[in-house]
Amino acid sequence: MFDALKKLKYGARVFLSRKGGEPEVIDVRGRPVSIMSGGDGPPFVYLHSTLGESMRWLPFHAAWSKHFTVYAPLHPGFGQSGGFDEIDSIEDMAFHYLELFDALGLGEVILGGVSLGGWIAAEFAIRWPERVKKLWLSGAPGLWVEEQPLPDLFRDMANVPRLRSLLFHDPDGYMAKMVLADNIEDERRVMGFQAMTVLARLVWERPYDPKLARRLHRIQCPTLLLWGGNDRLVPPAYGEAYRQHLPQSEMKIIPHCGHLAMFEKEAEFVEAVTAFCQ
Amino acid sequence: MRYYFFHLMSWPYLPANFADDYDSAWVWLPNSLYDPVKGHDLYQNYLDTLAYADELGFDGICVNEHHQNAYGLMPSPNLMAAALTQRTRRCQIAVIGNALPLYNPPLRVAEEFAMLDVLSGGRLVAGMVIGGGPEYFSYQVNPTYARERFREALDLIVKAWTTPGPFLWNSKHYFFRYVNPWPRPIQQPHPPIWIPGAGSLETVEFVAGRRYAYMGIPYFHIDTFRRMFGLFREACEKAGYKADPEQMGWGIPIYVAETDRQAREEFEPHLWYFIRNLLKNISLAPPGYTSAKSALAILRNRGQFLADQKDWDAIEKGVFAIVGSPETVRQKLDHYRKELGVGVVLTGCQTGTLPHELARKSMALLAKEVLPHVR
Repeated sequence: MFDALKKLKYGARVFLSRKGGEPEVIDVRGRPVSIMSGGDGPPFVYLHSTLGESMRWLPFHAAWSKHFTVYAPLHPGFGQSGGFDEIDSIEDMAFHYLELFDALGLGEVILGGVSLGGWIAAEFAIRWPERVKKLWLSGAPGLWVEEQPLPDLFRDMANVPRLRSLLFHDPDGYMAKMVLADNIEDERRVMGFQAMTVLARLVWERPYDPKLARRLHRIQCPTLLLWGGNDRLVPPAYGEAYRQHLPQSEMKIIPHCGHLAMFEKEAEFVEAVTAFCQ
Repeated sequence: MRYYFFHLMSWPYLPANFADDYDSAWVWLPNSLYDPVKGHDLYQNYLDTLAYADELGFDGICVNEHHQNAYGLMPSPNLMAAALTQRTRRCQIAVIGNALPLYNPPLRVAEEFAMLDVLSGGRLVAGMVIGGGPEYFSYQVNPTYARERFREALDLIVKAWTTPGPFLWNSKHYFFRYVNPWPRPIQQPHPPIWIPGAGSLETVEFVAGRRYAYMGIPYFHIDTFRRMFGLFREACEKAGYKADPEQMGWGIPIYVAETDRQAREEFEPHLWYFIRNLLKNISLAPPGYTSAKSALAILRNRGQFLADQKDWDAIEKGVFAIVGSPETVRQKLDHYRKELGVGVVLTGCQTGTLPHELARKSMALLAKEVLPHVR
């Protein structure tokens, strides 16, 4: 009962926060890119995870928009964003964002993302460090930690309970059950399949970038590594690995939190990112 | 009307608790469950069975490719086909097929198939497949390129067989400066090409467009085959010609015994071994392996696969297998092959645990009492 109320409350907040971001489709060198933006202040670009959470303007987007001009684009292959045929590697994603920022007239941005989005942000920042004012990564893969190999997300993608325990600290919590619902209609299932297709293209053969570690030194801006203390998909050891290659970075752990901090511990997540980026 | 005998070479010795305690007969099933000493006898027996099909007058025998699993023990069907070129004299040897995206370079397939065609004196049927979903987990080959690589590799192989080499090849996934395979196939312009499929519209249209033969993978409800061959005929018409029955193959397990009752008693337990153990996780579908549209179609066809069947009644009603006396099998086979309009039937009876002598008895009854009446 309590969970049901929480769920209703979240739904109401999602509804109210919609007023912030207006989705539009812009053209980037012939590719349609779906993007939402809202708020005022320095440009702040959020790169989403494989969940595709930037399909909607969610409470955490809205919270940032009180301090920044928030841009929330969808990666190629998600929603209305095209150009997936031109994507073969994580580097192609980074180049895609270079062209998007150029199209938007953004010089220097605050850049960050969760999971896949965080990895893309890191790949962008090693190539064009002068375009990144501040960088934050949450639950980002990209490196490889020999002692803690990343689990196989693809093996469990059709098994909702297993997926929940991989992605959430509390797999029985209302957020886990809302983000990864038990019974979803086939169309949404196919959208999930499409999202996983984008991820598979990038990581199937090798779920990390073997050249990333030795290029991270190129990032000179302040960097926040924000990890769920109980992230089982990309464990905190991966944040620690980033930290070792980024002397100017700080690592912050959110306790009792899994891979998707923006859902499982939204308040702490938003607060940590906002405080760091201001 | 042609009849081919197929064999998966399944592993019959899974532990009794397998169905309950293991989640997969594929990819990550521990290979400690494989016993190479038993495996030796099994390969001998399975090869004997296939050679026996040649003696009995089947038009061809079929082998296929699977990796890291108990369902089919031929990671290299070409090795088995090579052995069979030396054990058979008359029948075609259909390798259905090589999973092209798993071969790098795919020229390996052009070479090995040409070797088999030359070795067998022109008896090879060259099957080309995308490969099952689990193979992409086993080989870590990117499933999101499966279809692109399949088509490029297929075009490359056919060109390698039909265009004098050396020539240069340049496509998205493959670049070769010197395409020049030795040997070349005996059959001209090239061995017959069969493409197995499970009814996805993309594959149906592709095969029809190229005028190759479409082989419906077994273990589906008869409605799936009805729809599949209907789509194929339509696709051929769209491509400007009438489908030849020889372009359509129907995969269907058949078991024959003296009476209906005896046939069911002898065969049923072994079919359940197959369903409950070996099909476990065969549907593992890596993302991008099919288009989103096909993925949706697969979701909507839930319940049409053999693994979803719970009792004998469902198996009989869905025609997942034809089991009975020679007379019963004659009637059913004749009815459905005509209804489906197919010119090729791919049949098998070995589900893993079926004793070899029963498999041979059924094959002999099928060849002698049934097939002469349904040609």
